[in-house]
Amino acid sequence: MAEIKIRNLHKEFGTGADKVVALEDVNLDMGGHVFVSIVGPSGCGKSTLLNILSGIETPTSGSLEITQSGHKAAPGYVFQAARLLPWRTVMDNLLFVQQDKSDETRARCQKYLEMVQLGDKGDKFPGELSGGMQQRVGIARAFSIEPDVLFMDEPFSHLDAITARSLRRELHTMWADTGKTIIFVTHDVGEAVELSNRILVFAQGGRLEDDITVDLDFPRDAADEEVAIAKASVLRKFEEFDLLAT
Amino acid sequence: MIAVVTTMTTEVPAPDRVTQEDIEEAARRKELIIRWISRISGYVVVLGLWEWASGAVLEENLLPGPTRVLQTAVELFQDGKVFPAFGASLSRILLGVFLSFIIGSMIGIITQNRWFSGFFKDAITIGLTSPGLIWVLITALVFGNRWFGPILAIILTTFALVSVNVAEGIGSLPKDTLDMARAFKVNLVDRNRHIVIPHLAPYLFTGLRFSFSIGWKVTVLTEIFTASSGIGFELRIAQILFRQDEVLTWILLFFVFALFLEKVVLQAIEDRFFRWRKEIAST
Repeated sequence: MAEIKIRNLHKEFGTGADKVVALEDVNLDMGGHVFVSIVGPSGCGKSTLLNILSGIETPTSGSLEITQSGHKAAPGYVFQAARLLPWRTVMDNLLFVQQDKSDETRARCQKYLEMVQLGDKGDKFPGELSGGMQQRVGIARAFSIEPDVLFMDEPFSHLDAITARSLRRELHTMWADTGKTIIFVTHDVGEAVELSNRILVFAQGGRLEDDITVDLDFPRDAADEEVAIAKASVLRKFEEFDLLAT
Repeated sequence: MIAVVTTMTTEVPAPDRVTQEDIEEAARRKELIIRWISRISGYVVVLGLWEWASGAVLEENLLPGPTRVLQTAVELFQDGKVFPAFGASLSRILLGVFLSFIIGSMIGIITQNRWFSGFFKDAITIGLTSPGLIWVLITALVFGNRWFGPILAIILTTFALVSVNVAEGIGSLPKDTLDMARAFKVNLVDRNRHIVIPHLAPYLFTGLRFSFSIGWKVTVLTEIFTASSGIGFELRIAQILFRQDEVLTWILLFFVFALFLEKVVLQAIEDRFFRWRKEIAST
């Protein structure tokens, strides 16, 4: 199981009068078969934290460790937009991020395409697929490298409600089947409550305001009373920390 | 008495169902037929008018008709003049466009730097706006009929087109996709091979295509002024000898060859490398 240790993580952009603090002294421990959602208003540093975790950005100060059984863990990433290569087929997009391109790897990619219901679309170009299908390819790509930990940055925010709901269910099944650690950024509190067993609430200035455990059975439905109560409870925290106004 | 009434039903085979695919296929066929009929009609009308004008409007010596031009073309092929002339022009074009492509690409890359951008800014603007004839005249005056005169004229006329396209391609590199590759620990070679080069390919291809079509015009012009071989040279000789049929034949052969390169060679390259665009367009 992957373990993530974040100590005194600080990130600033710009200098002097233009300086913006994106993350302020963040301390966190995450790991195991857990689905962690990071919520907060726009500009609270959610995506910056994910970018630092995945190595796209470097922190200004502080330390970060992502390990798997004492070794450096391999992360996977699902982005807000699928970020596929339009000139490569769906299968080639999955193979692009693999260390080796053997038949075994190809079979593994095919397995994950089938998990996202796109087993027959391997030879299509991304432009031939709908937005929801492209995002599914993005999810299959991230799972296909069999990462120890998976980072997801608002992956369903561009999709219509029905497609997003269906993908959330698929994602949850894959998380349950594969036992991965998933760190999921979202601005949708309902989505966070439906998917996660832990919710981190961030505020403007990149402060970690609260760390909430959602102790409800899966699968969850937004229409369930318990889920609605949990969502209301998280929203109350937003009010408490004055996050709704921002 | 009980009357037994039996009804007989005859099974009538259902007519074949017309699918959406059949309708689209029929529409595609119709579109193709219309396109070819209109294209052929264009040729028939122009050739018909030309044949009529030869003799009726202008003397046949001044405006030989298409049949006379065709006969001359056959004679030129039989005399073995056509292939060496095209070979000479084509080799100049290929070398000129190749060097222009290399130089233009390098300038396109280094102009990402602010200092070099300022350094080359006006040179590129002049390169884009100046007619090729200027460079043809200058190189003809300076180099006479030496082989690199036409090459230099091609480079000076077309390098800016390549530079602008390459610079635009580099400027619009997909940062998000490159970040994705970095997040998945894809190595630098694969990032360049699978993201940077395919992204730049359409820009490079556009630059190459324009350079090639302008390169043709510049080459023929320089050959008319200075060279001792090539299509332009043959045109000049035919004009001096007042062989109007030969002049028109060389021009016509030039048109046919240019069309062949554009519609067959370059189109095949485009279809091969940009198949993904066609697939997207068809959805």
